Amino acid sequence: MGGVFRLASSFVRLFKRSAQKHTLRRNPAWNRLCGSHMRQYRDLLAAMIVATVLFQPMGAAAQAGANPQDVLFNWNRMVLELVRHTPTYSPPVASRSFAYLGVTAYEAVASGTDELKSLAGQLNELSLPPQRDPNAHYDEAAILHAALTHGVRNFFGNTGPTGQRAMNAMESQIETMVSASLDEQTLATSIAYGEAVAAHILEWSLTDGGALVENLGFPYEFEPGSSPQSWVPTSTIGLQQAPLLPNWGDNRTFAMPNGATCPVVEPPVYDAQAGSEFYTEAMEVYEAVQAIEPDEEAIARFWSDDPMLSPTPPGHWIAIALQLLRETDAELHDSVDLFARLGISLADSFIGCWHEKYLYDLLRPVTYINLHIDPDWRPILITPPFPEYPSGHSTQSGAAAAVLEAHFGPGFAFSDKTHERDGLGVRSYQDFWHAAEEAAISRLYGGIHYRVAIESGLDQGRCVGAFTNALVTWER
Amino acid sequence: MTRPFAFSFCALAAFCSMSPALAQNQQTPTIPTFVEVTDAADIDSVFEGEWEYMVGGGVAVFDCDDDGFPDIFLAGGTAPARFYRNKSAQGGNLTFSPHESGLEIEAVSGAYPIDIDGDGIVDLVLLRVGENIVMRGLGNCRFENANSQWAFDGGDAWSSAFAAIWEHGADWPTIAIGNYIDRNEPMFPWGSCTDNWLHRPDETGSGFAPPLALTPSYCTLSMLFTDWDRSGTPSLRVSNDREYYRGGQEQLWRIEAGQAPRLYDENDGWQQLRIWGMGIASYDLDFNSYPDYFLTSMTDNRLQVLTEIPENGLPWPTYRDVAYARGVTAHRPYTGDEVRPSTAWHAQFEDVNNDGLADLFIAKGNVWEMPDFAIEDPNNLLLQREDGSFFEAGDHAGVASFLTARGGALADFNLNGQLDLVVVNRHDRAQIWQNTSTDLGNWLQIRLAQPGPNRNGIGAWIEVERNGVTMRREVFAGGGHVSGQAGWWHFGLGDTQSGRMRVIWPDGYEDSWQDFSPNSFYTYSRDSAAAPWLPEPLKK
Repeated sequence: MGGVFRLASSFVRLFKRSAQKHTLRRNPAWNRLCGSHMRQYRDLLAAMIVATVLFQPMGAAAQAGANPQDVLFNWNRMVLELVRHTPTYSPPVASRSFAYLGVTAYEAVASGTDELKSLAGQLNELSLPPQRDPNAHYDEAAILHAALTHGVRNFFGNTGPTGQRAMNAMESQIETMVSASLDEQTLATSIAYGEAVAAHILEWSLTDGGALVENLGFPYEFEPGSSPQSWVPTSTIGLQQAPLLPNWGDNRTFAMPNGATCPVVEPPVYDAQAGSEFYTEAMEVYEAVQAIEPDEEAIARFWSDDPMLSPTPPGHWIAIALQLLRETDAELHDSVDLFARLGISLADSFIGCWHEKYLYDLLRPVTYINLHIDPDWRPILITPPFPEYPSGHSTQSGAAAAVLEAHFGPGFAFSDKTHERDGLGVRSYQDFWHAAEEAAISRLYGGIHYRVAIESGLDQGRCVGAFTNALVTWER
Repeated sequence: MTRPFAFSFCALAAFCSMSPALAQNQQTPTIPTFVEVTDAADIDSVFEGEWEYMVGGGVAVFDCDDDGFPDIFLAGGTAPARFYRNKSAQGGNLTFSPHESGLEIEAVSGAYPIDIDGDGIVDLVLLRVGENIVMRGLGNCRFENANSQWAFDGGDAWSSAFAAIWEHGADWPTIAIGNYIDRNEPMFPWGSCTDNWLHRPDETGSGFAPPLALTPSYCTLSMLFTDWDRSGTPSLRVSNDREYYRGGQEQLWRIEAGQAPRLYDENDGWQQLRIWGMGIASYDLDFNSYPDYFLTSMTDNRLQVLTEIPENGLPWPTYRDVAYARGVTAHRPYTGDEVRPSTAWHAQFEDVNNDGLADLFIAKGNVWEMPDFAIEDPNNLLLQREDGSFFEAGDHAGVASFLTARGGALADFNLNGQLDLVVVNRHDRAQIWQNTSTDLGNWLQIRLAQPGPNRNGIGAWIEVERNGVTMRREVFAGGGHVSGQAGWWHFGLGDTQSGRMRVIWPDGYEDSWQDFSPNSFYTYSRDSAAAPWLPEPLKK
C-alpha cells in the first residue's frame, strides 16, 4: 500500500511540477492548494491506483526505487540534530554547513534534470560539478544518499560519539532502503556519482576561510578595543573572554560579492549621557525587560535558539523549511532548490553580519546598562559572546524571510513547530516577514540587542536575500 | 573604520595557565607531593566498553574488613569489576590485593557504598548498563546480590548517578538513581532521556517500594542529597547532560517524607542552568554553614554559591557562579601540549595539603576522541588559598595524568592523615597515587557510627572549630561522577594544636562539643564521647 501511495504522490508531483513550470509557481493560492487540496487528490488517486494494481502482474510497483525526497528530508533532520549536538556549531558555522549541504543536494539532483540549472558560475568560485554519464543508469535516491552521506560525514566529522553512531545508523538504514530495488550496477554508479558531486563541493568549501574552527570558535588571545563603546566580555565563562569568530566576516560569500556588500547604517554615536540617542536605545532595552509581558517573554525564549540547546538560529529557519516542504508535499526539485537557497542566504547573512559586527565593535546592552543605568540589571536571555551591532538574528531572519517568501509566495501563513519537543510550543504567523520581525524583536525583549541593531539587521537581511533570490535555478 | 581587535595565538605557558585569580600576586599554597604507585600497589583494572560506557567508570572506597583501612572497588564496564583489599600499613606504602568478593560483575559503570540495613557492614549499590544491583555486605569483604531480599527493582537502564538519604523517621534509606539515554535509540537518541528513579522504603521499613519516576528526567550524570538551605531536610540536587535533553536544566527536588517529590522552580528562586552536567562536588568553602557546589562540564565548570543568605529565615535556591573569580573554571589543559577545551567528570573537595582549606580535584578526559576537545587532558588539583581563590598544582603535585579519566576518589589509604588518590580511566588502567608529602599540616579524621538505621549518619554535619573558624562537612552518600565513599571524613588543621568538634545528627540533634587532639582518628557515636581510634600496629 505504501508503494501505491508513493505512486499516487508521484502523479501529484508530476502535475504540480508541470503547473509550477508554467504559471502557478509563485502563486500563493497555488501553494495553499498544494498544501491542502492536493492531499485529497492524492488520496483519490491512490484509491484508483489500488484498483488498477490489483489487476497488474506482480513486480510493477517493486520497480519503483526509494523516494529521494525521503532521503533528503531524513538527512536534513539528522543535520539539524548534529548541528545542535556538535560543539563547534555556533550559528555562523551552522549556516555554512547548511549552505554547502544544500548546494550538494541541489547539484546532485540538478544534473539529472533539464528543469534545474547548476549554480556553478553563479556562486562565488563554484565550478561545474561532475556531470552524469548520459549512457549510464542512475537512481536519484541513491545519488542523494551518497552525496549527503559524504557531505554530512565531512561537515560533522568532529561530532561526538553519539552523533557518529547516529550517522552510522542513518546511513545504514537509508542504504538498505535505497538498495532494496536496485541492481548492483545502478547502485554503484549512483553512489559513485553522488560522492563525486559531494567531493567537488567539499573541495570548494575548503577555500572559503571558514573550514577550520579552533577552540570552538574563540580566539586564544584577545585584546579588547580601547573605546568606551568597545565590546567587552559579558560572562564569566573562561572560554568566552574573547569574542566568537572575529574573522568570519572575511569569509568568501556564496551569492553576494563579499561580506561588505550589504552594509548597515552606523549605529548612534556612543554617549553615556542620559537622554542621548544611545542612552535612549539602552533605556528601551532596560524598560522592555523590566516590564516584559508574558507573551513577549515567550517570544524571546521561542527565538532564543541557543547553540547546543537548539538547532541554532539558522537551523530554526531550516527546520521551518523542512516542516513546510513536508506539509505542502513539495516535489524534490522544489525541495533541493529551497534548501540550497535558504542555506546560501543564511550563510551570506552571517558573513555580512559578522563583517559589520567587528567593524563597529559595539558593547552589549548589559554592559552599558550596568555601567550607566542599573548595575544589577540582567537580561532575560544569555548575552551572546560577540559584539552587538547589528543583530545576527535579525539579519539572518530577514534573509530567510526574503527567500521563503520568494519560494512559497507572499501571504503564506504557517505555524512554526521547531521547538515543540522542547516544550516551547507552536507559534503561528500570517507570513514569513511577520515571523522574521518577531525573531528580530525577540532580541530586544530578551535584553541582548538595541532596537537599531534589530532594524538594521532586518534591512541587511533583505539585501542579502535579494542576492540569493537573483540566483537562477529553474531553466526558463 | 579599521578593525579594532588584534588576535594571535598565545604563548601557551604564559596565557593558558593563567587564571584571573592567578593574575594577582598571591601566596602559593603548600603543594603536596603525590607519587603514582599503581604498579607497586598492584592495582590493575581497566574501564572498558564502547558507546554505552562513554560515561561512567567509577570507584567506590570503603572499609569492608573493619580494619579502618579503605578498600577499593573499581567498575570495569564490559569487563568484570574488580575489588582490592587494602593491605597497607599505617604510614607505609600503598599495597592492595585482588580479592574475590562477589562483586566481580560485568556492565558496572559505578558504585556507591552505604550500610543499607544498618547491620554495621557496608553494602554496595552497583550502577549498571542493565539491571542495577544492591550488594549486601556479608562481612570480611564478601557480598551477595540482595535485589530480591530487599525488593530492589534494579530496572533495565543506563544508570549513571546515585544518591541516598534516610528521610525523617525512616528506618530504611531512600535511594535516588539517575539514568541516562535510552540506549535502544540508535538514530535519534537525543531527547530520549529515561526516567530517574526514587526508591523509597516499603511499608515494612526493611525493603524498597517500587521505584517512583522522577519526572521530568534529563539524562543525569550526578545526584546528591544535600541540605542546601540548612533546613534539616536535604533536597536532591541533580546534574544533567544538556547534550541529550530537550527542555531540560539542572534540577533541585524537594524530597519530604510522605510527600511526592516536587521540583524547585523559578517561583522558588531556582534559576535555569543548562550545562553538560557530569559531576557534583560540595563543601562549605566559605565557612558560612551553607554548602557550595562545584559542577563539572565540558569547557567551563561552575562553582555555585548562594546569592543571598538572609539574616533570618531560609535562603532561596538562587546561586551565582564564582568559578571564574576564584580560578576554577578549569576549562582547558594547564599543562602539556594541548589548548583545546577540557572535559571534566569526577570532582571532589578535600584538603590535600592539610592547611585547613578545602582543595579541589577534577578528573579530566575526552568523551571519546572528540577532536574539538583536548585528548590529553590533565587532571586538576586546585589548591585553595586563604582568599578563596585556587591555585592549579596538578602538575607540580604529580597527579596531572593525561589518560582519559572518569571517576575518582581522594582517600587516606594508609591512614597517615594525608589524602591519596585513585582515578578510573576509560580504556586504560586505573591509577593510584600516594601522598608522600613531608611538610603538610595537622589533620583530624572522624567517622560516624550510631546504632540502628542510618548507622553512618548520612545527612549529618560534622563541625570542627579551630583558631576561631568553624569548618563544616556534610555527611553524604552520592555526588561526584559514579564514585562514592564511606568511612573517614577528613579535616586539615594547618598548625592547629587543639580545638573542638561536634556532630549535628540527621534528625537535627546537636551533640555536645568535644575537644580533639590533632592528627587523630575518632569514632563518633550519638550522645557518647568521641572515641579515639588507632589502627592496629603492624596488623598487616
